[in-house]
Amino acid sequence: MLRTLPAGFLILLSLAGGVAAQEAYPTRPINLVSPYPPGGAADLTARPLAPALERALKQPVVVVNRVGAGGAVGTQFVSTAPADGYTLMITVFSISTIPEADKVAGRKPRFTRDQFVPIARINADPTMLIVHPSTPWKSVKALVNEAKKRPNDIVFVSAGPYTVAHMAIEVFMQTAKIKMRHLPTTGGGPAMTALIGGHAFVSALSTGAVSPQWKAGKLRVLANSGAKRLAAFPDTPTLKELGYDMEVYLWTGMFARKEVPPAILKTVRAAVGKAVRDSEFVKASAKMQMPPDYLDAPEFQTWWDKDSEMLANAIRRIPQPSK
Amino acid sequence: MVETLHSLANGFAVALSPEVLMYAFVGCLVGTLVGVLPGVGPLGGISLLLPVTYGLDATSALVLLAGIYYGAMYGGSTTSILMRIPGEAASVMTCIDGYAMTQKGRGGAALAIAAVGSFVAGTLSILGLMLLAPPLAEFALRFGPPENFALMVLGLLVLAYMSSGPITRSLSMAALGLLLGMVGMDTMTGLFRFDYGVSELGDGIGIVPVAVGLFGISEILLSAGRDSKAEIRAPRLRELLPTRQEWRASAAPIGRGTVLGFLIGIIPGPGHVISSFVSYSVERRLSRHPERFGHGAIEGVAGPESANNSATSGAFVPMLALGLPSGAVPAIMLAAMMIHGIAPGPLLMQQQPELFWAVIASMYVGNVVLLILNLPFVGIFVNILRIPYSYLYPALLAFATIGVYSVNSSVVDVWMMAVAGLAGYVLRKLDYEIAPIILGLVLAPMIELSFRQSLAMSAGSYSIFFTHPISAFMLLIGLTLLLLGMRSMFTRAAGPGALMGIEPAAGPGQKQP
Repeated sequence: MLRTLPAGFLILLSLAGGVAAQEAYPTRPINLVSPYPPGGAADLTARPLAPALERALKQPVVVVNRVGAGGAVGTQFVSTAPADGYTLMITVFSISTIPEADKVAGRKPRFTRDQFVPIARINADPTMLIVHPSTPWKSVKALVNEAKKRPNDIVFVSAGPYTVAHMAIEVFMQTAKIKMRHLPTTGGGPAMTALIGGHAFVSALSTGAVSPQWKAGKLRVLANSGAKRLAAFPDTPTLKELGYDMEVYLWTGMFARKEVPPAILKTVRAAVGKAVRDSEFVKASAKMQMPPDYLDAPEFQTWWDKDSEMLANAIRRIPQPSK
Repeated sequence: MVETLHSLANGFAVALSPEVLMYAFVGCLVGTLVGVLPGVGPLGGISLLLPVTYGLDATSALVLLAGIYYGAMYGGSTTSILMRIPGEAASVMTCIDGYAMTQKGRGGAALAIAAVGSFVAGTLSILGLMLLAPPLAEFALRFGPPENFALMVLGLLVLAYMSSGPITRSLSMAALGLLLGMVGMDTMTGLFRFDYGVSELGDGIGIVPVAVGLFGISEILLSAGRDSKAEIRAPRLRELLPTRQEWRASAAPIGRGTVLGFLIGIIPGPGHVISSFVSYSVERRLSRHPERFGHGAIEGVAGPESANNSATSGAFVPMLALGLPSGAVPAIMLAAMMIHGIAPGPLLMQQQPELFWAVIASMYVGNVVLLILNLPFVGIFVNILRIPYSYLYPALLAFATIGVYSVNSSVVDVWMMAVAGLAGYVLRKLDYEIAPIILGLVLAPMIELSFRQSLAMSAGSYSIFFTHPISAFMLLIGLTLLLLGMRSMFTRAAGPGALMGIEPAAGPGQKQP
């Protein structure tokens, strides 16, 4: 009796829904994979999103950190997980840059973009172009002029090759037709340390990391790499309005394997759309200075294609070390 | 000063409130367990528990995470001393003399000294953190890539200079460690080296699986071939406490370990691991009977265990004073602050004085909690040795496997541990020192990165190491040590088995800035 009761319930439900089996999704907990460790942008987005999704889907949503190789391990893991909609992924733009970086390095890509289908963009934050306060550059123009005078002499610092800091400066250099020297480090923290310590003079880092140092006068903000000025930095122009036609964002998006049935994707899409408006999620995002900047699947697909194309172009133009 | 005391008093008021006190206790308990479980170190523990803190208020979250960090340093010594399995990477040096003491029936004394040394180091170094954080942090900022490179080279030379025994053997092991450290993603270019298509190898060869394998698994394998009658005897209860002589021998190493650990912890990198190596070498060099090291010298437990605890406080200096991380664990704690809407930066102390002082005060409280927690455990833990080996060792193998696996959910890590275990078995049969392998593995990525970063800064010119004053100064000291060491090699002043290059004046004093 006890066993037949839920089964009968399910049949009733599916009858009510009109369509059979697929409508039942989700019937068990969903894994939300972050290819980055706790504390990274992907994880910081996934953690508050999971309970909001849970409220929308009526099933537990568990954040799983599959960490390694700059995001490659987790992304690869999702690309081979069962395509049943119970393994979803929150990741950053490394999903576009890793396959391209593999290609220019002359190795078989560990995964490709077309193995995934985009579900939604959750947030997209510009990076802040910053310089050490001891430098004479009070504007982007001054920096560009100096870099033209001393090609490949000014040192910029990034959180590592192909990270957002590296890509933002790389795209900026290619747009402004200047050359600066790259000092890679092992993360956003070390990059900030090198800049504040005066071991490098230019960088492009997240607003959350930049604003406390900026308020303390430890660095100078020249521009942001997005399309709009930010409320927290009202006097800081965008690179775009200064005439450098570029936009680079640190964004996080939700993806699934391409083979996941469309009906399931539809359910997930609707749930994510609801979750990003969830008041708890909005509140948590504001605290972390990563406000939701939601794009639904079709718009995200178009935007993602464009963003990836831009990043891929930039990566192909980075001089490779000779072998 | 009065103001500091006043702020501290307010901090204690927060830290001793029941809720915060409970989180400090939970943090210390979890940290101890994380430290005891082989393989899971502070980084793994904090990563696993960070999500739990998302729902807490900022002060409780930081108190909890800090508790795990220094709790792990207390707990890490337990399995090192009793079973020769390093609980985490900073306890590797403790394995050597700690386990030798256990074999002589002095395991309880080693555990007690480790706990007391950790307590003293923890408490004194917080004092340093509280009073000296801003100037020290500013000084640490002057360490860029060339300075870090010079420091690491100096460190290696000091260690080589101070090590006893056949120098070719320890150098070849350090070289092996350096080679292993080359595996993985090249941070400068993003290219992958020696990964053979295994994505997990992209992060390089993990220190923890190798340490657990080389020390712990090899010991289990070796014991299988030993005469079972020569087993370790569990100490009687009255033998648990250190003797008066052991206390006296430990006092100075604890003091030196505290200072060394604190200073090394401030500089970016895995300071808690490196500080334990440096402290061990310093103690061996200063000892009147260096031949006792490796055979149960209590100084070899007291020094490194104090140093690794003190280094955790040192690591908080740049984090709390400037909002900049000095390593992986502080980086996660900074993220924890941002999650709670607190911008970690140079103004933290002014803008969030309550948080700052509550965290400082909770560290004092935490150290007391840990001492109370750990001393009674000594008696319980030592009794583990009463379990017959045929039951104990399979269980240890299982725990080590679970611990190593759980950090990254990676089977590759488990294989690394197994291979390192076999390699450790062979090397120890052939009488090689295995600690230098770990040192090489820890230092290799840092030396390489800072060297190549320096060259990136200077557009390929080596002059950068000599035009930066701090770097030039340290390299000069290193060169002097090298020449001193070589002099005795040429003159053959030291007979077989004696120390290399006896010039105590040029020894550890150089580490103090």
